[in-house]
Amino acid sequence: MATKKPERFDQVDWSELSESGRLDLSINSIGMVITSLPVVLLGLYDWRFIGDRTDTFEFIGLSRNLESLDYFFIFTLLLFFFYLILPLAQNPRMTKYYWKEFKRNRPAVVSLGWLLIVFAGGLLGPLVISAPEQDILIGHQPPVFLSVDAANVANCVGDIVGGQCQGTWEYPLGTTRGGKSVFTSIIYGMTISMQIAFITTTIVAAIGISFGTVSAYAGGWVDEVLMRFVDIILSFPTLLMFLLILYIYGAGLGMFILVFSLFAWGGTARYVRSKSLSVSEEEYIKASRISGASTYRVVRKHVVPNTASSIITQLTLLIPGFLLAEAQLAFLGLGDSNIPSWGQLISAGRSDLAFAPWIVLAPGIVLFLTILAFNFLGDALLDALNPEAEAESE
Amino acid sequence: MGLGRYITARVAWAAVVSLIIVTITFVLLAAAPNPSIREAATQAALQGGDPAAAAERERELRGLNEPLHVRYLDFLQSVYTLDWGWSQHRSQPVTEALWEGLYYTAQYSIPWTILTVILGPIVGVYSAANMYSWKDHAATGFAFFGYAIPNFFFGIILLLIFGVWLDVIPVVYDTSVPLFSLDNVIQLIIPVFVLVTGSIGATMRVSRNESAEFQNSDFMKTAKAKGVSPLRAYAYHVMRPTLVPLSTTLVGQLLALFLGSSLLVEVVFGIPGLGRLTFDALVAQDTNLVLGATLVFTFIAVVGNLVEDLVFTILDPRISYDDR
Repeated sequence: MATKKPERFDQVDWSELSESGRLDLSINSIGMVITSLPVVLLGLYDWRFIGDRTDTFEFIGLSRNLESLDYFFIFTLLLFFFYLILPLAQNPRMTKYYWKEFKRNRPAVVSLGWLLIVFAGGLLGPLVISAPEQDILIGHQPPVFLSVDAANVANCVGDIVGGQCQGTWEYPLGTTRGGKSVFTSIIYGMTISMQIAFITTTIVAAIGISFGTVSAYAGGWVDEVLMRFVDIILSFPTLLMFLLILYIYGAGLGMFILVFSLFAWGGTARYVRSKSLSVSEEEYIKASRISGASTYRVVRKHVVPNTASSIITQLTLLIPGFLLAEAQLAFLGLGDSNIPSWGQLISAGRSDLAFAPWIVLAPGIVLFLTILAFNFLGDALLDALNPEAEAESE
Repeated sequence: MGLGRYITARVAWAAVVSLIIVTITFVLLAAAPNPSIREAATQAALQGGDPAAAAERERELRGLNEPLHVRYLDFLQSVYTLDWGWSQHRSQPVTEALWEGLYYTAQYSIPWTILTVILGPIVGVYSAANMYSWKDHAATGFAFFGYAIPNFFFGIILLLIFGVWLDVIPVVYDTSVPLFSLDNVIQLIIPVFVLVTGSIGATMRVSRNESAEFQNSDFMKTAKAKGVSPLRAYAYHVMRPTLVPLSTTLVGQLLALFLGSSLLVEVVFGIPGLGRLTFDALVAQDTNLVLGATLVFTFIAVVGNLVEDLVFTILDPRISYDDR
C-alpha cells in the first residue's frame, strides 16, 4: 500500500494477510467496479431504451453517439488505469526503478512520448475537434508551408502566388479529394488505432493468461489438449480466415478486432505457460503453499504478477501487427469504410498520388512512426522489466 | 520416442491440423447463405420467373439439399483430390487459375526468400562483429526501419519516386516480357526490395543477438589464437551455431509475411499472382476461387510449420522429443 516512507520488510500489511475469502476486493477492484457500473448502465440504457438512430447523450443535449465498441474501449481503458497505472502509483519504489532502467534507452523514451501524443489525441481529439466533413469545393488543398500548381486545386483557400496554391493553417496537412482535412482525419484515426490496440490487447491477455496458467497448473491431459489447441490457433492463417469471413458474412471494425484477437493469443498462452511453470518451482510459491494458500490464490497473487512483465512486453510487440493488418485491409478496400482509419486515408489518396502526395504520406508516416514506437517500447520494456533477458542476449 | 516416431507423429499432427482448418472452412461456408443461390433467385425475378423455384433448383443443382454429413464428406473428398471446381470469374478450373497465379508469385518470392535467407544472417553477424560501432547502428536502424514501415506504403512511395517522378521503372507490371530478361528483372527489383526490407529486419536482429553470444566464446578465442582468418572464423564458428535458433523463427516469419504481404505487394504493383487472384476473386464474389486460394495458403502454412519443426529437430540433436 502507498506509504510515504520507504517500504520496509518488517512492516506487515495485516489487511492484506487477513484477506481470506475470495470476495474481499482490493482498492483497485473496488474502483474498477464503481467506475464501470455507470458505463454498463449507460450501455444498457443505450441498448434497451433509445432507438438506433437516437444519440446516446441526447438526454443532456449532446449529439454524440456511442457504439458498442466505444463501451468496450472505455471498459478496457478503466482496466488499464486500475490494474496498470494505479499499481505503478501505489508502488513508487518499483516505479522509480523501472523508470531508471527504462530511461537508459533514449529511443524508447521518445517512442513513449509519441505514443502518449497518439493516445491523448485519440482520446481527447474527437471531443475537441469536430469530425472531418466532406466539402468537394475545397479538395486537394496543400499542407501549410507547401504549395502546388493551382491547376490541380479547384478552389484554393490560401493565396495563389505565381500560379502556385499555398497551404493554410486552416488545413495544416492539406485536404483529400473530397475536401476532408487530413489533419482531422489523422486525429480521428488515432482513436481507431487506440481502440484496436487496447481492445485486442485486453482480449489477447485475458484468453492467453487463462489458457497459459490453467494449462501449467492442470498438467496431464488437460495441458496436452490445451497446448494442441494452441498449436492449431498458431498455424491458422488469420488474415485469410478474416478475408473468408468478410466474404461470407461481411465485417466491420468490431468483427476485425474479434477475429484478430481470437487468433492472436496462441503465442501469449505458450509464453505464460512456460513462465508459470518456471515460477511455480520457486521457493516462495512452495512457502505460500505450505502456509495453506489455495491454488487460486497462488495463481492470482504470485504466478500472474510474476509473469506480468513478460506478458506486457509480449503484448506491446503484438499491437503493431494489428495496426498494420487494419491498415492493409483498409488499403485493399476491405476494411470498415465507415470509420476514418489511417488505412482508409492512405487508400483514399492513392489515386491522387502523383500531384497530391500528402494525402498518402501524412497518415503513412504517422502509421510508420506508431509501429516503430511500439517496437522500440517493447524492446525497452524487455530490458527494463526482465534484467535477465538482457544479460542473456549480451 | 525416437526420431522416426517423432517425425511420424509430427506429420500426422500436420494432417490433423489441415483437416481441422478445412472443417472450419466448411462450417463457415455451410452456415452462410450461398451467394450463387441469391444470384439465381435474382436472375429469375428479373426475367419474370419464380425466384423461390429458381433458388430451389439451384440448391438441388449444387446438392445443398443433401444431409450435412454427406455434404461434408463430399467436400472433404473434393478438397483432398484437388477437385476444386470451376472459377466463374476466370472461366477456367480453379486449380488452373491457381497455377497461373503461382507462376507470377514465384517470380518475386523465390529471389526474395533467397535474399532474406542469405543476407539476413550475414548482416546480423557482421553487425554483431562490429557491435556498437556506427556500422552496427546503421544496420540496426535499417532493420527497425524495414520492420516498421508498412510494405504497401513503402511500395507506393517507391513507385511514386522511381515510377512516376524518375520514370526508370514501369508503373504497371507487364506480363508479356519473357521470364529471363532485363525488363523482367527491372520490374521486379522494387517489389523484391520492398519485401526484403520488410523481412530482413527480424532475421538480422535475431542473428545479431544470437551470434553476440559466440563472439567471446572459448572456441572463438582458440580459433583466433591459432591464427584463423577472421572471415573463416566467423563463417565456420559463429555462423553455424547462429543458424540453429534462427531456423526456428525464420520459416514462420517468412510465411506470415508471405501470406500478408504478397497480397498487398501484388495489388500495389499490379502483379497477377496468387494474392491478386484471391483479391479479385473476393471482389468478383467467386466462391470456388476464394476457397481454393484460401486452401492453398493454408496448406502452405501448415506444411511450412511442419518443415520448420522437422528441420529444427534434425539440425539440433540436443532437443528431446519426449516433452513435445
